[in-house]
Amino acid sequence: MTDNQAPTPPLLSIFILSAAALAYEVLLIRLFSIVHWHHFAFMVISIALLGYGASGSLITVFRHWLLDNYDRVFIANILLFGLSSIVCFVIVQHLPFNTLEILWDSSQWQRLLLSYLLLMLPFFFVANGIVLTMMRFHQLIPQVYGIDLIGAGVGAVLVMVLLQIFSAETLLTLLAIGGLTAGLFALSNLGKRQKRLTVSLLVLCMFAVFLMPQKWLDLRLSEYKGLAQTLLIKDTSLRSSHSSPVSQTDVVQSPLVPFRHAPGLSLQSPTGPPEQLAVFRDGDEMTAIDHVTDHRSLEYYDYMSSALPYHVHRSPQDVLILASATGAQILQAHLYQIPSIDAVEPDKQLSLLITEQYADYYGWHNLKQKVTIHNISVRGFSAPEKNYDLVVMGPSGASSGGSAGVYALSTSYDYTVEALQSYLKQLAPDGLLSLTQWTSTPARGNLKLFAAAVAAMKQNGITHPENNITWIRSWNTATLLLKNSPFTDEEINRVRDFSLSRSFDLAWIPGIMPDEVNRFQLLQEPVFYLAAKSILKGEENGFIEEYKYDIQAATDNRPYFNNHFRWSSLKEFMSLPGQAGISMIGVGYPTLLITLAQAFVAAIVLILLPLSFMPADKKKVAGRRRNLIIYFLAIGLAFLFIEIAFIQKFTLILSQPLYAVAVALCAFLIFSGLGSLYVQRRMKDASMPIISVLLRRSVILIGLITVLYIVVLPLVSSTIMALPETVRIFSAFVLAAPLAFVMGMPFPLGMATLQQTSPNLIPWAWGINGCASVLSAVLAVLLAIEIGFNGVMFCAVMLYLVAWFANRDTINVEY
Amino acid sequence: MAVKLFITGVFVHLFLLSNGAVVADEYRQQRQQMAADIEDDVEIVAKHINKKSFDTMVMQAMRTVPRHEFVPADLRGEAYENRPLPIGFGQTISQPYIVALMTDLLRPQPGQRVLEIGTGSGYQAAVLSQLVAQVYSIEIIEQLGKSTAQLLTQLGYGNIKTRIADGYDGWPQHAPYDSIIVTAAISHIPPPLVQQLKKGGRMLIPVGTRFQTQYLTLVEKDKQGKVTTRKLLPVIFVPFTGGH
Repeated sequence: MTDNQAPTPPLLSIFILSAAALAYEVLLIRLFSIVHWHHFAFMVISIALLGYGASGSLITVFRHWLLDNYDRVFIANILLFGLSSIVCFVIVQHLPFNTLEILWDSSQWQRLLLSYLLLMLPFFFVANGIVLTMMRFHQLIPQVYGIDLIGAGVGAVLVMVLLQIFSAETLLTLLAIGGLTAGLFALSNLGKRQKRLTVSLLVLCMFAVFLMPQKWLDLRLSEYKGLAQTLLIKDTSLRSSHSSPVSQTDVVQSPLVPFRHAPGLSLQSPTGPPEQLAVFRDGDEMTAIDHVTDHRSLEYYDYMSSALPYHVHRSPQDVLILASATGAQILQAHLYQIPSIDAVEPDKQLSLLITEQYADYYGWHNLKQKVTIHNISVRGFSAPEKNYDLVVMGPSGASSGGSAGVYALSTSYDYTVEALQSYLKQLAPDGLLSLTQWTSTPARGNLKLFAAAVAAMKQNGITHPENNITWIRSWNTATLLLKNSPFTDEEINRVRDFSLSRSFDLAWIPGIMPDEVNRFQLLQEPVFYLAAKSILKGEENGFIEEYKYDIQAATDNRPYFNNHFRWSSLKEFMSLPGQAGISMIGVGYPTLLITLAQAFVAAIVLILLPLSFMPADKKKVAGRRRNLIIYFLAIGLAFLFIEIAFIQKFTLILSQPLYAVAVALCAFLIFSGLGSLYVQRRMKDASMPIISVLLRRSVILIGLITVLYIVVLPLVSSTIMALPETVRIFSAFVLAAPLAFVMGMPFPLGMATLQQTSPNLIPWAWGINGCASVLSAVLAVLLAIEIGFNGVMFCAVMLYLVAWFANRDTINVEY
Repeated sequence: MAVKLFITGVFVHLFLLSNGAVVADEYRQQRQQMAADIEDDVEIVAKHINKKSFDTMVMQAMRTVPRHEFVPADLRGEAYENRPLPIGFGQTISQPYIVALMTDLLRPQPGQRVLEIGTGSGYQAAVLSQLVAQVYSIEIIEQLGKSTAQLLTQLGYGNIKTRIADGYDGWPQHAPYDSIIVTAAISHIPPPLVQQLKKGGRMLIPVGTRFQTQYLTLVEKDKQGKVTTRKLLPVIFVPFTGGH
């Protein structure tokens, strides 16, 4: 086959294929978060994306045959993507794999490996199509790559929109069919008979996918998830389900066995909760909707540690509830007859459950006159004209005891030092900030929050925070009360009385005596009190350094509030018998390390494999190949470092993690695609000096813009957060555009270098870059936990510089 | 012909009996090994849990109860490994070390009455039944509760009474109990269970996932009726500060 026979690459097919592949990736994360847990989804999908790398390596080996049969191979890969995207998922769902048993049962690892291999296939086929097109049309690599990126960017937004409309299972079918349509736009180079045959085959496959029995696609929830276990109880049934790009929400009723969800309810409580509906997010994390019949049905709220601020404040009038979820905190405020309540809940679906779908059950008609729910992120809410007597945040989701550290990898901007500073600023002069959390054993998150509270108060100019904090704990919750002025003796006595009457323990009050702590809910040692005393004394470095978990205050730069892993404790924990060490560490961080280790091994194999099929190295050539590896590894790592850091920065600016992911992915991929197309335009002369100049300029610009953002973004974030939503989204696009545009250049420039010197290595370079992207996603999280996202961005700049140096020697490589 | 059949029958019967005896003996040996593994674990963490070994009677019960009878047939080969095993319905049979630890913490005595919330496989109830007068066990999942009750009857555990119900309310008809063990996920300690606990009694609540007990809550009601709770880590009771 020659260029004359196929003058133009199938760009529309590439666009559709790339869009479908990225949408499929996001969808798989959603599906596996529902079926298993989200840390597991993160691991599986990270490894599955190595399919991109595998493609590059295999094409390097079989390039001659594949290129000779390009047209047929391209369509075959589209076909295989469409089919494997759905078939592989169905097979993986039916594997008897149990993520919880992986530490105990070695056969689970074999099933996991099989899952990886199956889920790699769709990405492998997509990558084959793109790389072969790049090789086939090697003069147009930047154009093909640009279209690939733009397609992926569109796919990122598309999947978010479609997940609002369709369930995840339905979308799986639609994406498979969508992927198959890419084949219809790649027929131009086929003969008449081949065209007819191909169209028939594609349409047949579409029908096959469309007619696939729904039963095969139904999500097989892990039997160990809360929803699955609840549905085993007699007479329980699903009342409603709702799927969104963020989560699946299921509402369950149980007329026979009441749910009785009442976090940390005191044993002294004369009453329990009323009838409730259970609400599960992604099949776990149970919360409840109370059936409010009269005021008495709410009395149990008075016996929770979260009731403390209502007993300490004389007469609260205005209350702000942060993360109101299914409305428990609203009902608690209602119990104390608060006349004006603002509630903030980022997940609109949860609010709609209590204001519309189950409004009568919840008693919304009695509340709607005085309650306003704002569907915005907790950090995004501000009411400049108003100060609150109480700002309240309750425990969310399932207890930390049951979650086993699975959220260690999730970022949370709600409990950072900067967050607490902003909450304190919303208080009226005698106002109280109340933060109730689940406790964990051994204590970690609660101590981290205390450290953040002290840091926030100090940064707000409070010189003696020990007088402005009270802290109590129940069996499994702890409530921290903060004030901008010192607590009065009367207020302190109210804290004492409240705790004593409910058998709650004091952890800190101004002037606390050692014999006042650890009296009812006994811990091995009074670690809450010891931590408080030490941190307030300013010995935080001593205590924080000595403690066996990381309890340093989370900040906006290191927003890993739920991560408590410390390397220095690892050896001790792992020496414990019976896999007990993992329960001490939690599964989140080890998952990250295991993912990195697996990705690292797979990447080395995939990168080195093609070398054994290349001619023996001369010394000079070997050195240049090494440079080639460094170049594509470095830009692969760096691109995702910056993209992931921006997703985090945008989470704050846009107030919705969902928008942040959609806007960051869309902006970075589309503008990078445009950057790549710009390279194509500039390279019409195809001269090496242009490549060199463009690369130098792009690296310098990436460095300058990134450093500028590291300095400027924290300063402008609060200003942007106050703007209307559409302006914020527009601002995010504007912020991302210049950086993304120049970041889109190094890859096609590197490929253009290869195209001129050794086109046979194009798929290998693609494979290296693909492997780097997978490693990058994991490394970025590990680095962010240690050095923060600014550090991650700085590392990216360094990597671009390394790539630049490596490329200078690679430009003239020949094989 | 009849004689031939009779001789063949006797031969087959003897073969099966001897084979059964071999299997039973093998299980017995595995059970002893499991108990030895538990004792090794206790030794490893002895300095952390302030005791060198579990109560002798508790370990005797662990050596006696045939754990292989409480696991699904296809997992019998792994019945005596010191690990939790899935039993269906999203439930597990707990790790033997945890069963021994929980039983030891309850300080069972002959003549006592114990209430168990969450019958599950029935293994924990069977172990307790070796040490106390009467075990009452409640299971919320109907199908699991029925099959376990049948199994316990078949195995001859006459001092275990089971029922299918919501464990939150306990079993007031047989209250008060010397000890209570709650293996269900709960958002708060159920007051009815505390009420049904004898003065001087102990209640134990393991918390974690089905395959990993993260910590245990020990609820103690003293002679005056004052209730305190204590959180215990299954393998480490040391101070959590310092000592890197």
